[in-house]
Amino acid sequence: MLTEDQIMESLHYIIDPEIGINIVDLGLIYNLDISSEKIIVTMTLTTPGCPMHSSMAEGVENAIRHLDDKVRIEVNLVWKPKWTPDMMTDYAKERLGY
Amino acid sequence: MSVIGETSGSLASKMSPSFRMVSKYFITSIVFFILLNILLVLEYNNIHGHYFQPILLALVHITTLGWITMIIFGAMFQLVPVVLEVKLFSEKLGEIQFWIYLAGVIGLVTAFWSFDTGLHMAVSASLLVVAILIFIFNISASMAKVKKWNITGIYLIAALFYLLSTAAAGILMAINLGYPFIQGDHLQYLKLHVDVAFIGWVLIVIMGVSYKLIPMFSLSHGYSQKSSVFAFILVNTGLLGITTVMHYKIIPYIYYFFTALIGLGILFFLHQIYLILKRRLRKKFDIGMKHSIIAFSVLLLDTILGLFLVMYSFNDLTIELNLILLYGFMSLIGFFSILTVGQLYKILPFLVWYHKFSSKVGKEPVPLLKEMFNEKLAKIEMYFLVAGFTGGAIGIALYIDTLMLISFILMLTGTLIFAYNMYSIYTAKGKLTAAPAQIDVVKNDKEAVR
Repeated sequence: MLTEDQIMESLHYIIDPEIGINIVDLGLIYNLDISSEKIIVTMTLTTPGCPMHSSMAEGVENAIRHLDDKVRIEVNLVWKPKWTPDMMTDYAKERLGY
Repeated sequence: MSVIGETSGSLASKMSPSFRMVSKYFITSIVFFILLNILLVLEYNNIHGHYFQPILLALVHITTLGWITMIIFGAMFQLVPVVLEVKLFSEKLGEIQFWIYLAGVIGLVTAFWSFDTGLHMAVSASLLVVAILIFIFNISASMAKVKKWNITGIYLIAALFYLLSTAAAGILMAINLGYPFIQGDHLQYLKLHVDVAFIGWVLIVIMGVSYKLIPMFSLSHGYSQKSSVFAFILVNTGLLGITTVMHYKIIPYIYYFFTALIGLGILFFLHQIYLILKRRLRKKFDIGMKHSIIAFSVLLLDTILGLFLVMYSFNDLTIELNLILLYGFMSLIGFFSILTVGQLYKILPFLVWYHKFSSKVGKEPVPLLKEMFNEKLAKIEMYFLVAGFTGGAIGIALYIDTLMLISFILMLTGTLIFAYNMYSIYTAKGKLTAAPAQIDVVKNDKEAVR
């Protein structure tokens, strides 16, 4: 079974192509629910309906699939709670000059 | 709650029209922009005097129809689904419209150039009207399914109405040139045509779209949207005011009043942009935003000049005509073109990235958007374009033809660099940043931050 650390590490590969920062440090991953048969990722995007980020969710699935090609993966895109800049890590804030 | 591949329907993946269809509009418009710049260099000594003359009319329509409206069409096909979360009603119609429209643009521009005012002009104008009607139908039919309206959508509806008005006034004049039937002064329809085209169609589209794109590109949250509502009410009231009052002959003070409302509306728009940028997370302006800020500054100056032209009575006709040309040049080049060039550094990489790389995220290395073109070159392009525009504006205002020639050459150089960058976006490869390298960079960066 995959661990949270393994998955989080793999999600660092998903870089928001517009901002240039990975989705973990942007604070877009809200929750990971890991069980033996299924991984549920709950995540958001910086702007509702933002076209660029739709492929981010697809990327999440691809990145986890890379670690384990049998596990069932479900990616939930949620808008509540609304993403705010405070959810970013210090690293991301620094990079943005926030 | 949604599962990937099933209910992520609110996202662009299922909404976006095909890459090929939208690209036709984008690429063709850039070709017209290059053509415009070449012709400005070749015909620089014709950009003088009264605006109602063949070559000037041809150049203006290359700009407004070939470059500006063409690119707005492409951008709207792409953006309406994203902004309003609906699918484009018909891609096929978008495809058909393109060819009719292109034939119409080439026809009308050549008709103006040779001042062939008969059938050539009437047929071309009719083709344009047909293409525009198809567009309006296609977008309206898409909008009919919108569930959640926002301020951008409302601006776009108004813009469609003015596009229709522009086309109607345009075809009346085009036919009238060859087969006169308008009683009275046809130049009053010209003023109506120009006002609704620039303020109603182009400016309102830009205002509406900016409220969506500028926050998205600068990562801005939590600002008040009131100014965008005031801007909408003021610009529309003013524009409807000047176009109806115009029609019943001028009552100067009422006319001034409505013109002032438009000016005030534009100030509210700029204030809204200021509010958005004040709350932005990305402190550093990238190349696209730099272009945009220059363009918005030009819009401010242009608005002041426009108000001045309306309210001041000139004794010297030559000065007045030069300033009218300057107003057009500032609107079309300084404002619209510089803004669009900047926005294309954002929109086009997205379009190509989405088409080529979005399904590869997490599987193989994909480039960042800004890696898809040479940002240093883009900066050089900006200097050329802005220097060329500034020199050109001074040259036109004071009628110094050598300065105009030099400036137009600078603009052409900038435009070619821009076109090269757009080409490299289209041909971008996916191997720019290797994914393992990316994660190392993240780790190293984090160490550095600590």
